[in-house]
Amino acid sequence: MKVRQSIENLLTILRNNPNIAHWHTIPERHAQSVSFPEEMDQRLIEALSHRGISTLYSHQAEAFLKVKEGKNIVAVTPTASGKTLCYNLPVLQGIIEKESNRALYLFPTKALAQDQKSEMNELIDEMGISIKSYTYDGDTPGQIRQKIRQAGHVVITNPDMLHSAILPHHTKWVSLFENLQYVVIDELHTYRGVFGSHVANVIRRLKRICDYYGSHPVFICTSATIQNPREHAEILTGEKMHLIDKNGAPSVRKHFIFYNPPVVNYALNVRKSATLEVRDLAKTFLKNDIQTIVFAKSRVRVELLLSYLQQLNTGRHERSKIRAYRGGYLPSERRAIEKGLRSGEIMGVVSTNALELGVDIGQLQVCIMTGYPGSVASTWQQAGRAGRRQDEAVIVMVASSDPLDQYIVHHPDYFFERKPEAVRINPNNVIILIDHIKCAAYELPFQVGDRFGDLEVDDLCTYLADEDVLHFQANKWYWMNDAFPATNISLRSATQENVVIVDQTHPESVQIIGEMDRFSAMTMLYEEAIYLHQGKQYQVEELDWEEKKAYVRSISVNYYTDANLAVHLDVLDVDQYEKEMGEKVERAFGDVSVRALPTLFKKIRFETHENIGSGPIHLPEEEMHTSAAWISFSNEVVEEVGKETFEYILLALSHVLKTAASLFVMCDVGDLSVVPMIKSPHNEQSTIFIYDRYPGGIGLSKTIYHKFPELLEEVTSLIEGCHCEKGCPSCIGLGEEAPKNIKKIIIDLLKETKSCH
Amino acid sequence: MSLKKQLERYKQKKKQKSAHETTVSQEGQPSNHKERCKFSKEEIYEKELRLAAQNLQADIKTFDNQMVLIRSKHIDLDEKIGPYKGRQLFDIISKWQELTFTHPLSAQGLKAEELLFFDTETTGLDAGAGNMIFLIGFARVSEDGITLKQYFLPGPGHETAFYYHFLTDCRELKHLVTYNGKAFDWPRVKSRYQFVQDRVPKLPAFGHFDLLHASRRLWKNRLEQTRLQTVEKEILGIDRGGDIPGHMAPFLYFQFLKQPKASLVEGVIEHNFQDILTLISLYIHLSIKCFGEENVDDDEQFEIARWFQYLKCNEEAIARFEKLIHSSSSSEINAKANRNLGDLYKKQKNYSMALKYYLNIIETGQVEDESTYIEVAKLLEHHYKDIDQALKYTQCAMQFIKDRHIIHTSDLSKKMDPLIKRENRLKRKGNKKN
Repeated sequence: MKVRQSIENLLTILRNNPNIAHWHTIPERHAQSVSFPEEMDQRLIEALSHRGISTLYSHQAEAFLKVKEGKNIVAVTPTASGKTLCYNLPVLQGIIEKESNRALYLFPTKALAQDQKSEMNELIDEMGISIKSYTYDGDTPGQIRQKIRQAGHVVITNPDMLHSAILPHHTKWVSLFENLQYVVIDELHTYRGVFGSHVANVIRRLKRICDYYGSHPVFICTSATIQNPREHAEILTGEKMHLIDKNGAPSVRKHFIFYNPPVVNYALNVRKSATLEVRDLAKTFLKNDIQTIVFAKSRVRVELLLSYLQQLNTGRHERSKIRAYRGGYLPSERRAIEKGLRSGEIMGVVSTNALELGVDIGQLQVCIMTGYPGSVASTWQQAGRAGRRQDEAVIVMVASSDPLDQYIVHHPDYFFERKPEAVRINPNNVIILIDHIKCAAYELPFQVGDRFGDLEVDDLCTYLADEDVLHFQANKWYWMNDAFPATNISLRSATQENVVIVDQTHPESVQIIGEMDRFSAMTMLYEEAIYLHQGKQYQVEELDWEEKKAYVRSISVNYYTDANLAVHLDVLDVDQYEKEMGEKVERAFGDVSVRALPTLFKKIRFETHENIGSGPIHLPEEEMHTSAAWISFSNEVVEEVGKETFEYILLALSHVLKTAASLFVMCDVGDLSVVPMIKSPHNEQSTIFIYDRYPGGIGLSKTIYHKFPELLEEVTSLIEGCHCEKGCPSCIGLGEEAPKNIKKIIIDLLKETKSCH
Repeated sequence: MSLKKQLERYKQKKKQKSAHETTVSQEGQPSNHKERCKFSKEEIYEKELRLAAQNLQADIKTFDNQMVLIRSKHIDLDEKIGPYKGRQLFDIISKWQELTFTHPLSAQGLKAEELLFFDTETTGLDAGAGNMIFLIGFARVSEDGITLKQYFLPGPGHETAFYYHFLTDCRELKHLVTYNGKAFDWPRVKSRYQFVQDRVPKLPAFGHFDLLHASRRLWKNRLEQTRLQTVEKEILGIDRGGDIPGHMAPFLYFQFLKQPKASLVEGVIEHNFQDILTLISLYIHLSIKCFGEENVDDDEQFEIARWFQYLKCNEEAIARFEKLIHSSSSSEINAKANRNLGDLYKKQKNYSMALKYYLNIIETGQVEDESTYIEVAKLLEHHYKDIDQALKYTQCAMQFIKDRHIIHTSDLSKKMDPLIKRENRLKRKGNKKN
């Protein structure tokens, strides 16, 4: 009979594994508890006692008292620190004190909102007071919508619903807006980039409506650990914030292990694939019935790992104990997986960062990351999935050959001592702003001199009036168009149009199995692409780009596909620039036009990852205007090292910048793109562009422009930190083909740049 | 980058883009800009608006420094509105007073003068707060004739005057008559009222006849759609000719706001005018159908009877169905009426009558589906204890399914299984007795 090994045994075995690069143990931390504040209603205290809570963590009590004083707060709360009480307690107290008070809860996803409703209602039931809390989302049936509008004390929703269903219909929500006392924004850190910039504008609209109805709500925000919680909360809400960052919750003992796969090709400094190592590590834990979560960076990796891990089990029922979780699955499928994880029916889950959020999946003991997640903040959030309520937790980060991963593995202090990144948004991106000025004018006319947030918007309104969207009369701008503006504006992406994935394996029961945004579809759903869904392979038979439908059929092959994207870039306008090193290097910031065209795809065999074929992709070019930062090298510099060598330098630098830049401004790797050009048409110089992958830009490249010197320093230490001798695919993305001394040339070049500051 | 600069760049890009797509020439436009600039934009608008009001034969009324255009028309009671005359409304209203049943269209307790035939035109079809009503029209029928008043909003900044005058004028009225007003027009009035409520009279609590619901009940089978224009043409036989389609209204209104020329909106105003007159005619027409004495065909009579059944006015429903059985020559309608009568009597626990009507269907060979046999079998088994007959009809039902239906096996067993159970039970009961 097979004997199951305990986690202690497995840890002992792991300790002797030669691939462990670093073992960091985070000691257990005890709770800092305080007794219930005097002001707290007795019924609330009793309800808590019934649920086994006899004291509060210090940060919960602080939140309660500050909100009671009428202060806006932002509480930094790691996973499992009891953050819900930070807002539920002051809100319930407020409603007990004054029955007419109302609260609005915003969660980034529907699933989180559902979780919260159950938790809130349990507490309310315990108190035996008639406080009504409801979720309001696309699934809310028509009959109870009216009841929620009139009588819901706590309305739990998401920013998208607020944007498209609540604010534009504010005349039906008078009792909410007249009495709105609290606005709760959970998972504040998720409101970043384009999405965050949109949400900041939705909140400006919310405040405008509140003002009209005479209410001035207190904002209660919670966030995962980021560098700038207060600043971010203040920009997002336009309110002064009190920061609560002393966490009083206890934490279990955690083993944080850096695992570096062995080198398999010394010449190229190529390591064994992280995916394969993760497969083996995960198998070890899963075989011993230890609940494990595996994070992978892309949807393809998730599906790949799932198919590997499911081979553990042969029976159909057994296979379903290991599941994948990612965006693009239908909500019902996701709910089932969450439930299975909580109940323990599902033993292992492979996920993209979709499970970084506070979705309640209960306790997991082990967390394995396939590669460094890209940011300190993200890493800690993924790590938080392990050991929520367990005795001892294990977190394994398996490094890939990426330069960033290798740097982290070799410099653990860099990671463990570094503060998490800052979150950035740009609510004043003119494209985003104009969208919301339209929505806002639809909701209430703008008067000359009115502000939107802290912005003067007369110019924007005048422009929209010239475009016949608004009508100016008697000092006011009115919405004057038969369209409903909110329907055409999606908070989540540049384009509303998603591509629907249709499974036509069985002609008699054709069904939709998922959807994907347009830009991803270009590189994942082209004809002949292998699309993976819950570990099953599908081949795309037809991509109807006009109708936004991809028709797929289930298939079984031993390869997956990967696409190449050709990008053309033109500078439209230079906004700022600076010469450095005499005239040798120039950094600049401005507007660019980017045209992207997928060209061909490769077929890559499982396990060996070798290229076994390719084919063309026929899709139209997509164009967008955005902002970019770039660095150009004068011809003098190029000639010094020789033109041919310099081409390699550009490639190498772009390779490193790609990861370094997104790390630097804390954004998804997909939010920024890097393009090298040997001779950029605008100045005839060798140039590397870094641009925001959203029309109009969201301020990422601007930050990069200002911090270019620091960024290049980071790049230098990344390359220098690599243990290879003369540059390898891991650090500079190049192998044997590169000139012999390229590593030194690059480092010298970068150091020269630096010394001139 | 400053917002101003961003905006400039944004505009430029848009211009470049649209320049590619279309080649708009601005030269064709008259260039009397200089002449116009003597006056402010608002002064010009007001001047042109006064001229437009004149051309539309409307008065300008003011309130709170705001304006509303009001057009009032008088129509003689003997003038034809479709197949009817306004005068007939009085007969209809007094007829309603005589009737004892309750009905959604019943004007019991109301006078003809108290009805408010009401319709609006809006700047968009969605239900959000940013949509405005720019035209309200209502008609009132009194001994002196029909008065049809229309309130036109001369610009978005004039809603206070608009609602002030409309609400002041309709204060004495009690009951709305609309077409889809329950879901569309009235919620929009309520929504816009939110913005002006401090300065205008209170919204009255109206009763409401929504003729869309009635029309749907009666004619949804014979009409492809039940829009007012379709009902008007197909049922009332009114041909408008040259009418402005309703979906053009917002566009024309936006044009008017840029330059207030009467010609832009007079079509919309006329459209609204006709809609309201049609409401009077349609209400008369529907009432006559409900009375059920004349001018009502078998299908309509059947639907009206069903309507009473739905309203739980069982007496009235039974009376209508029975009348239909006597008068109708259509065997299909006859069978349906018998079926409903059977159900109605069964609900009233009058089993003999129920049995009679169910058997009528079987005897005339009009069985549409097996449930008639099943109903008969149930009645015979449970209330008449006639096991043999019950068994016979159960078997009829089974035979009927076998004969008539080519269905999937799963569906077949779904239908057959309960019948087989019933058959077995009856056989057992029969055996015991023997």
